[in-house]
Amino acid sequence: MKQVNEKKKWTPRRARRLASSILGHGFLTVLSIVWLFPIAWLIMQSFRGEPGAFTKYFIPKTWTLDNYIRLFTETHLFNFPRWFMNTLIVAIFSCLITTILTLLTSYAFSRLRFKARKPMMNVILILGLFPGFMSMIAIYHILKSVGLDQSLVALVLVYSSGAMMGYYIAKGFFDTIPKSIDEAALIDGATKNQVFWHIIMPMSKPIVVYTILTSFIAPWVDFIFVSVIMKDNYNMYTVALGLYQMLTRENIQQYFTEFCAGAVLIAIPITLLFIKMQKYYVGGVTAGGAKG
Amino acid sequence: MKKLLSILLVLLMACSMMVGCSKEPTVVNLKVWGAQEDQEMLAGMIEEFKAANADKEWNIELGVVGEPDAAKKYLEDPEAAADVFAFANDQLRDLVNAGGLYKVTRNTENFSDIYAPGTIDAASIDGTLYAYPMTADNGYFMYYNSDFFTADDVKDFDTMLDKAAAAGKKVFMDVSNGWYIASFFLGNGGTLSIGADGKQVCDFNNDKGVEAGEAIKAITAHAGFVTGDDSILIAGIQDGSIVAGVSGTWNAESISKAWGAAYAATKLPEYTTASGKVQMGSFAGYKLVGVNSQTKAPVEAMDLAAWLTNEANQVVRFEKRALGPANVNAANSDAVKANVALAALAQQSAYAVSQKDVLGSYWTPAEAFGVAMEGKDYSKSVQEQLNDMVAQIQQ
Repeated sequence: MKQVNEKKKWTPRRARRLASSILGHGFLTVLSIVWLFPIAWLIMQSFRGEPGAFTKYFIPKTWTLDNYIRLFTETHLFNFPRWFMNTLIVAIFSCLITTILTLLTSYAFSRLRFKARKPMMNVILILGLFPGFMSMIAIYHILKSVGLDQSLVALVLVYSSGAMMGYYIAKGFFDTIPKSIDEAALIDGATKNQVFWHIIMPMSKPIVVYTILTSFIAPWVDFIFVSVIMKDNYNMYTVALGLYQMLTRENIQQYFTEFCAGAVLIAIPITLLFIKMQKYYVGGVTAGGAKG
Repeated sequence: MKKLLSILLVLLMACSMMVGCSKEPTVVNLKVWGAQEDQEMLAGMIEEFKAANADKEWNIELGVVGEPDAAKKYLEDPEAAADVFAFANDQLRDLVNAGGLYKVTRNTENFSDIYAPGTIDAASIDGTLYAYPMTADNGYFMYYNSDFFTADDVKDFDTMLDKAAAAGKKVFMDVSNGWYIASFFLGNGGTLSIGADGKQVCDFNNDKGVEAGEAIKAITAHAGFVTGDDSILIAGIQDGSIVAGVSGTWNAESISKAWGAAYAATKLPEYTTASGKVQMGSFAGYKLVGVNSQTKAPVEAMDLAAWLTNEANQVVRFEKRALGPANVNAANSDAVKANVALAALAQQSAYAVSQKDVLGSYWTPAEAFGVAMEGKDYSKSVQEQLNDMVAQIQQ
């Protein structure tokens, strides 16, 4: 009993530790408020019943689900469900293609030794230094000459064709898998292809998940390529471009709360995918980063 | 996984083969651009056009490109652009310089009767008509709460500010925006024109311009004044803190809802300079419908453009979307005159200047001057700030 009492005694060391703990947590609290505030605001706006783009108070005076309901029912002006499906389709297909391409590329660079390996890695590194939208207009004209402009296929192509350039992290991950595993399988008569699909893939869940997540998000947040490729074809818009139409001078006062509702809805598929795959995600980033 | 990949590849190839379907030569193919909120209305007008011209077979598509973006979207790829498209008249010069517009040669017989000279001028470059006028409502004026201000109060900016300040209320104007701030300079005789070298010429830094600049300084420093964008205006009107504000027809609905019976609007007020009272000017913007010079059916495209802007359809635009007609007959109808916002705009139009001769270099320096004024940055004199502004505009 006595000892316990002594332990609770106020010592300079305890005080210092407490002070630094308060300071640290205080700092983190401020940071998290700064970070969460816009999100909380957006979500509250999406439930706001009063019209208008901007209110001087933080918490809405009337709460309503109408913004969400209108987003899906009043589609003659802003066809949100259609845009949502467009984006989902593009996201799913480009995610599949991107993931496969990235993994194949990283595996080749990690395991195979061929003459052009180093030069190709260098070329990819240098190409990657240029921002993608630099070639935007060129890409548009190429797509147009093939007859693919203003189509979802074009978007899938754009998002997934440069995908293998992001092979670094996955390659870093594959480098950490001992080569002797491959060699054992090869001795047993497996082909390189079989080694990749049946041996390396099942061991690489974290990095597969990481690649899936990053490539799934891209179409949801991209604005610039959609606006160049889709131009006036309103029915093929993705959510990012479509929602932006609500913010024009003529529409913003009436549609701002619906815009917020749309923005919240975009977060749902991404969040679901993330929650589902979260436990692998952390492993993916750290595992790949170790030797990347 | 492998199967999936091969299916995907096959799909992709199939898709790329299906494109480029052949077109029937006898059908007239046209594409029309309009704002998203106008699509339904445009579809109706096009149906009527088809019915009125049943001797030909029509295939008319609609694309979504709003008037403010038309020139930009057009220049990205003129070939893929619409045959007939609506645009704001400040883009006219860019479009004509790029060779993008057909000269209007059809359906102009009675233009001098149905359009004001200013309207026709706004659609012409060097005396050549390049587009059909559609609406004449892209301007601004003063909204005010008639419970707070009398019709006499709103004739003078200073009276308004004093009265608002005394009651703890505000008068709104977006001064950090070249479009609005120009009203002070234009009112005091300032001009924006285009020099022989095709660059912007601006005289906002002469003595008259400095007078206007000093007035802006005094107004922005007044306790009864507030600046900001549209959302500040609407929020302020809804919570009662703003009792008057300079804005345009696009906010009419929100403002009239908030003020109810006290909703009123009029021309811009007078402001005070060292040499006396000055009526504020403004920019008058028109929306026009032009024909793409690359169209394969210019005659039909021109007929369609004329149809979309005829008197009946300008009335339809007013009825469905409250857009102010450019056509004099349509504009003089009782219904249009009874519209508070459009009536105020018509009053202001006597002091308005066409935006046709304003080039892109004007906006950012003018905005910078406005930002300095609303930020009460007086580190330089007004004359110096205006000299900087004009030097940048004329670059």
